[in-house]
Amino acid sequence: MASPLAQFEIKTLIPLQVAGYDISFTNSALFMAITVAAIMFFMTVGMRKGALVPGRWQLCVEMCYEFIANMLHDTAGRDARKYFPFIFTLFMFILFANLIGMTPYFGFTFTSHIAVTFAMASFVFIGVTIIGFAKHGFKFFKLFVPAGAPLALMPLLVVIELVSYLSRPISLSVRLFANMVAGHTMLKVFGGFVVALGALGVVPFAFIVALTGLELLVACLQAYVFAILTCMYLNDALHLH
Amino acid sequence: MPQLDPAVFLPQIFWLFVIFGLIYLFIAHSAAPRITQVLEKRQARISSDLEEASSLQAEAEAARVSHEKALEEARIKATSTITAKREAIKSDVEAEYAQLTEKLGAEFASAEVKIIAAKDKALDEIRVMSVDICKEIIQSVSGLDLDKKIVAERVSAKFEAVKDNANG
Repeated sequence: MASPLAQFEIKTLIPLQVAGYDISFTNSALFMAITVAAIMFFMTVGMRKGALVPGRWQLCVEMCYEFIANMLHDTAGRDARKYFPFIFTLFMFILFANLIGMTPYFGFTFTSHIAVTFAMASFVFIGVTIIGFAKHGFKFFKLFVPAGAPLALMPLLVVIELVSYLSRPISLSVRLFANMVAGHTMLKVFGGFVVALGALGVVPFAFIVALTGLELLVACLQAYVFAILTCMYLNDALHLH
Repeated sequence: MPQLDPAVFLPQIFWLFVIFGLIYLFIAHSAAPRITQVLEKRQARISSDLEEASSLQAEAEAARVSHEKALEEARIKATSTITAKREAIKSDVEAEYAQLTEKLGAEFASAEVKIIAAKDKALDEIRVMSVDICKEIIQSVSGLDLDKKIVAERVSAKFEAVKDNANG
C-alpha cells in the first residue's frame, strides 16, 4: 500500500527546461490551471446575466466579492481599496485550490506544498514591505518601535518586533501548508484502516466522513486566514499601527 | 516528505507565478469590475427607487394637506354663508315687524281719533236734544217758559262735567 505521503508526490507531465532551469509542467501546475479555470468558470457564468435581482449562482459570486471587500475595508481601511483585486484573487485561488484538492482519488492539493505557500507568503511580505516604504519612507521603521514602551526596554522590544515581522512569511506559509498536509495525511491514514480492518472498516469510514466535513471547513478557513492576515499586514504597512 | 525535495520547488514556483498572474489579470480587469458594476447598478436602482418612493410619499402628503385645507375652507365658507343668511333674514323680519307695528299703530291712532270724534258728535247731538227736552220738562212741570239760551248754558255746564268724567 502506498505511503500516506505519496499523494503529495510531484509528477512531471511535460518536461521543460529553459536555460538549464527545470520548469516542467507537473501535476501541481495542472491543478493550478484547473483551479484558475474553475474560478473563471465560476465568475464568468455566475455574472453572465449581471441581473439586478441575482440568481443563486450570481449571489454566490457576489457574496465572495462582498465578503472580501468588507473584510479588506474593515481591517485595512478605505485606502486599501486598490489592493482589493489582489486580495480577492488570493482568497479565491487558495479557496478553490483547497476545495478542488479535496476531490477523492483524483485531487492534488498544491497548497500542501511549502514551496507554493512560501512563494505566495513571500510575495505578500515583500509587496507589503515595499508598499510600507513607498508610503512612509524611513518612518516605516516606526512599525518596529512599540508606542509608549519604556526607553530602557527599547533595544529588546525592537529586536522582538523585527523578528516577529520577519517571521511573518514563515508563519503565513507554514500555517496553510501544515493544515493541508495534516488533513490530507490523516484522511489517507484512516482510508488505509478502512481497507485493513475489513468489516470493522465502517468505524474508520464513519470517521473519514466526519473528517471530510472538517477538512472542507479547514479548506475555507485557511483561505480566509491567509486573506485576512494579508489584509492585516497591509494595514500595518499603510497605517503603521 | 516529497514537499522538501528541492527539485520540486522551481517548476512549482514558476507555474504558480504564471498561473496566478493569469487569474489576477482576469479578476482585476474583467471579473471584479463586472461585479462592481452590477453591484453599483443595483445600489443606484435601490436608492433611486427609495428616492422616488419618498418623493411620492411627500406628494401624497401635500395632496392630503391641501385636501384638508380645502375642506376646512369650505367649512368656514359654509358657516359664514349660513351666518350671513341668518342675519339677513333676521334683519328682514325685524324690518317688516317694525313696519307692520308702525302701520298698525297709525291705524290704531286714526281709529281712536275717529272714535273720539264720533263720541263727541254723539254727545253734542245728545246735548242739543237735552236742551229741548229739559226746556219742555221744566215748562210742563212749572209752567215757566225759560229762555232757551239759559237752559243751553246749564245743560252744557253739566255735560262738560259728565264728558270730563267719561273721558277722564
